[in-house]
Order: sequence, then C-alpha cells, then structure tokens
Amino acid sequence: METSRETVTIQTPESVRFQYVLAGVGSRAAAYLLDTVIRYVSILSIFVLATLLGSLLPDLDPTGIAEKLSKTWIMALAVLAYGIVDLGYFIFFEAFWNGQTPGKRKQGLRVVRRNGQPIGWLESAIRNILRAVDIVLGFYPLGLIVIFFSRKNQRIGDYAAGTVVVVEEKWKVFQGKSRPRDTKSLIHPEIENYLTLVDPSQYQVLKSFLQRREEMDEGHRHELGRLLARQLLEKWKIPGRLKGSYEVFLEEVVALYEERKRAI
Amino acid sequence: MIFVADLYAGLQDGGREKIEGVAAVENNESKRVVLRLMGLQQGASEEKLALALQRIYKGKTQEDLRRALLGLPLVLARNAPEQQAQKIKHFLESQGAIVKISLPASQAASEPDSVSPGASPEPESGEVRQPYAGEERRSRPRVSKGIGLHPMGIGEILDRSFHLLRDHFWLLFLIILIPQVIYFLVSQGLRLAFTGGAAMSSPLAMGVGFGITAFFSAIIFLIVQFWAQGALIDAVSETYLGHSASVGGSYGAMRKRLGRLIGTMVLMGLLLAVPIGVFGVVGAVLAMVSGFLTAILALAGVGLALYLLLNWLMVDKVVVLEDTSWMRALRRSKELMTARTEDGFWKSTKMKASLILLLGFLIGFGFQLLFQLPGAVLGLLGKGSAVVATLFNMLNIAATSLATVYTAVAMILYYYDIRVRKEGFDLKMMAENL
Repeated sequence: METSRETVTIQTPESVRFQYVLAGVGSRAAAYLLDTVIRYVSILSIFVLATLLGSLLPDLDPTGIAEKLSKTWIMALAVLAYGIVDLGYFIFFEAFWNGQTPGKRKQGLRVVRRNGQPIGWLESAIRNILRAVDIVLGFYPLGLIVIFFSRKNQRIGDYAAGTVVVVEEKWKVFQGKSRPRDTKSLIHPEIENYLTLVDPSQYQVLKSFLQRREEMDEGHRHELGRLLARQLLEKWKIPGRLKGSYEVFLEEVVALYEERKRAI
Repeated sequence: MIFVADLYAGLQDGGREKIEGVAAVENNESKRVVLRLMGLQQGASEEKLALALQRIYKGKTQEDLRRALLGLPLVLARNAPEQQAQKIKHFLESQGAIVKISLPASQAASEPDSVSPGASPEPESGEVRQPYAGEERRSRPRVSKGIGLHPMGIGEILDRSFHLLRDHFWLLFLIILIPQVIYFLVSQGLRLAFTGGAAMSSPLAMGVGFGITAFFSAIIFLIVQFWAQGALIDAVSETYLGHSASVGGSYGAMRKRLGRLIGTMVLMGLLLAVPIGVFGVVGAVLAMVSGFLTAILALAGVGLALYLLLNWLMVDKVVVLEDTSWMRALRRSKELMTARTEDGFWKSTKMKASLILLLGFLIGFGFQLLFQLPGAVLGLLGKGSAVVATLFNMLNIAATSLATVYTAVAMILYYYDIRVRKEGFDLKMMAENL
C-alpha cells in the first residue's frame, strides 16, 4: 500500500489498484459531532425513562416485586446503559454498518482496514476502546496531534486496529434542475460540424456550468455563459450571430457531444 | 466577431452624458486622443466594470452598460484630452478593464504609435502602472493547473484547511505568531518597567505613564494584528490557488492595503457598536420598568449582533483579495453571505459559516489544549519561577496562535467556496486555462 498526501492506494492480491480519498480531521469532526448529538439524545432518553420508571413502577406493579427495586438500582442500571450506549454506539454501528456510524454515513465516510477490506468486530472494538486515549481531557488533543503527523490521517485507535477512515464519495455531482436538451429540435444544428473540436476538458467545463448554473447568481451566470460560448465561437470561427441565448447554445453543444459519445 | 461600437457617440447624442472631466477641460489646449475599452482582464467581473462605467456615464443604466460590454471593443471617447484620458484609463484598469489610448485617425497617419480599431486586446505594459505585489493575482486570479477547485461541503472545507495547515505549517503559524510575540514582548516590557520599582516618583506619574504606554502598545498591537490577519489571508489564498508564499512576501503584499483593512475593520466595529449601544441604553431604561422586556431586548440585541457579524464575516477577505474597502467591502461581504446557493436551512450560507466556526473552534480548542497542558503542569511545578512563567506564557501564545490559525484558514477557504458556488469561480479559471 502506498500513500500520497490525501489519498491511499490499495493493491489487491490480483494486482488491481484502487484509490481512496483519506478523510481529514474536519469531516471526521463533523461526523463525530453528529454522532455525539445522537448519543446524547439516546442517553438523555434512557435517563428520562429510568426516572419515570423509578417513580411509576411501584404503583403499576401489583406483585410488589418492583417495591424491592430501589431507585438507586434503577439509576445504576441507567448508568450501565449509558456506558453501553457511549462506547457500544461506535463499536456496534461500525461493525454492523460496514465501518459506518450515522454521522459517518451522513459525511460519506467509512472505516476500512489498511488493505481496503471491511472492518469486523475486533477492529471496531480496538479503535473505539482506544478512543478514550485519543480524547483524553476532551476535544481529542492527542488524536489531533497524531493525525497531524500521520501520513494516513490515523489516530492512535486506527494505528492499533490497522484501520483508515476514507471518504466514500468525494462530492456529490450537482444534477441541476434543467433537463437535457432534445437533439431533434436544435436552434443551431450546424454545431454538429464542429464537435470534433471540443476536447474532453472543455466538455467537462461546459457540463459543470450547465449543472451548476442554478446555484449561481444571474450576473455571473450570464458572464460565464458568455465567456464559454465566445470561446467556442472564436475557436470554431463560426460566422454570424447566435440565434438563441448563450446557454441554449451551450446546452446544444453538450447534448450533441453526449449523443456523439454514446454513439461511439 | 469583434466590432467597434461607438458608445461615446451614442452618449453624445443624448446631450447630457459626457465623460466627467472630459467636459470640464474641453477648452484645454492639451493633446487629444481616442480612448478605447478593448476588453476585460482575465478573471475581471463584467458587473464590476459596468458599475465603474456607470460612474463615468452617469445617465446610463447598469443594463445599458452591460449590453454595451457585449460588443467589445468600445470607443469611450474620440477626442479626449490626453491627461484626462490617462486618468480614466487608470481608473478603468483598476476595475479590470483593458483600455488603450491612441491618437485620432487624422494624426495617426503621421504617428507610428497609434492603435487601429479592432486591434488585439492586449494591455500596453508600458502605460499600465506597475502593480504592487498580489494585485495581479487579484485582478487575474491565477489557479495553478492541477489544483482542484469545486463546491465543497463543511467537512471537506475543514479537511482541506487541515491539509493546508499541515502542508504550510511554519508559514501560517509564523504569520499569526508574530503579533502575539510582539504583544508578549511589549507586555513583558511594561511589566518589568512598572513592577521594577523606583522608576516613577509618584503613583500618579506611574499611572499616567502606564496609561500612555498601554494606549500606544494597544495601538501597535492592533496594527500588527490586522497586518497579520491580512498576511494570513494572502498566504492562504496564494497556497490554496497553488502558488508559493512566504512570511515576508505576505506581510509585504499587505503593506499598501493595511490602512484600508484597518479602516474598514474599525468602520465595521463602529457599525456593530452603534446598534448594540442603542440596545444597551434602551435596555437600561426598560430595566427600571420590566425585567422581562429587558431580557427580550437583550436577546434581540444578541440576535442583531450575530446577524451583522455573520453578514460581515468576509469583510477582511474582500478587502485583501478583491481590493475593495469601506462600505463597498461591507456590502460585498453581505452579498456573499446572503447568497442562496443551496436549498435547505442547514445549507444556507450563514448556517454553514456558523457550523464551520463551531467545528473550527472545537478542533482549534483541541490544539490549544495540547499546548496548554504542558504549560499548566509546568506552572504547578515551578510556581513563582520567572523562567517557568515565561515558558508558560510562550506555550499559551503558541496554543492561541494554533487555535486561531485553523479557524481563519477554514474561513478563507469558505470565502472561495461561496465564490465557487455563487460566481462559478472555478469554472471561470478552468475556462481561461483551456
């Protein structure tokens, strides 16, 4: 296994290499924050339930067994439940959900073994029991410094368990609200003659613009559309003016390019 | 299809609208020239240029000017006094335009230096004033090839901040450490001067002396602090966009913008203080009537302060990276912070900023603990020792610097993320590199 700054490349015994993006402190902290909220809500629910049980059970139980259970015992059980939730939450979810907790899933992170295989109960238990060392005095001071010097962003628990946290999806592709243009009714059919001049990187920029234009504000959207359309027109040396807007022209270029790509 | 549109002639037909100053010195005997707007500098904003043109062509609307910009190059003036044309050229160039001055066609035949209509839009380097460090980057933000800019989530912004901090640790840490060290030295100097004993004859003289020294050291600290803040923004921006940066270079790049940064930040502070002060006074009066009303007012005051602070969160970045200052910088920051780029409450710009600040604070606090713990242990072991006290203070400085720098880096990256989403900043850069 070789690593670069932000990625980890794993080679399988079949000599197949695949690359993961390593999760950094930020996304892990965001996931941890969400998990902490879930854990504390669960723990709070347990204590509320225990308190209610402590006060209501003697009245509800006609056999009198509950009388024998003092409030102290109920609270002791609640504390035990707290311990189980606090520690067990991470162990349980990571082992059962293939290295993910609800927080990690939301952030698109996953714990895997260093060879890329999914983690089991043992790895999950080791990395989460050692969390107590990383988190000593709260806010992960030790964990942070170990990650800072680690080439694979590993904390002490990760080193011991032989695991790494990877990003499952780098970023979501923004689909946009507009539908792809129908290539049967084009305003600029002559575009087809120039498609060979569009290179993949140019197509990528055009596609990204069309996907993300809804996010942009009006002025910049217009300016960027104009810049991209002008670049194409100047490169193709098309005489005359555009019949529609810049964006319609770009939509048609992308639609025809994709159609051609599919045909090939 | 490039054509020369005679905007100036069109404006002359309107009768009222002439270039300011061109009219004022019309009777001047100086050399007459043709002023042409040839194009936009790489990365310059059409909107910003339209705004600048509106200051010259007062009768024209933004929409008119934006439409006129579609037909570049434009003739701005056919017969303008040279001195005035130079002024307008400098102004428009600072707003991202490429402007050319040439002799009128009648004189051009005899003068070889003239520019023919439709000439390629290249800036005449000889005439453009020398840009100061970093200015070129702002007007033409260069992004090194291979630098992946794209819309990021909160986690990724914080991840990249961490990577940036790790990759350029000494650069960023030293930039932020300098004002802390200066403050430390000044405060230690003061402590020695005023607790050293018989330096002052009377308590009154000692008090006055201390007050004056404290005032000046606070001013010095403020200046150095803002300088470091600007230098950090410059360094993070340079390294994030794939260029090299140095402590000296980043401090140097801030020299000419420091006044504007301090002024804008002080203005922001005053604008924040005024409504809070009003709330305070009204609250004090209401306290005599009802405690409940005072509590509600206090909550409203905190809400207003938070709202304003979030609106102006990008002011320092705007001043340093966009060369804008004062109220325009405050407006620009608000414009960025109110951009609706994603749907949903949790993904609103302000909410994302708050979450980044919260997580940045927590991670920064972790760093802080790491440095403060040995200091605290030392403090317990060597109580009363000057060496231990100094070491304790130095560890504290390092801890505060680390905690500050991480959140600051995250906020600079968030500034770029808003621009990537709102303005397609990355796509523009990619398009220009094609």
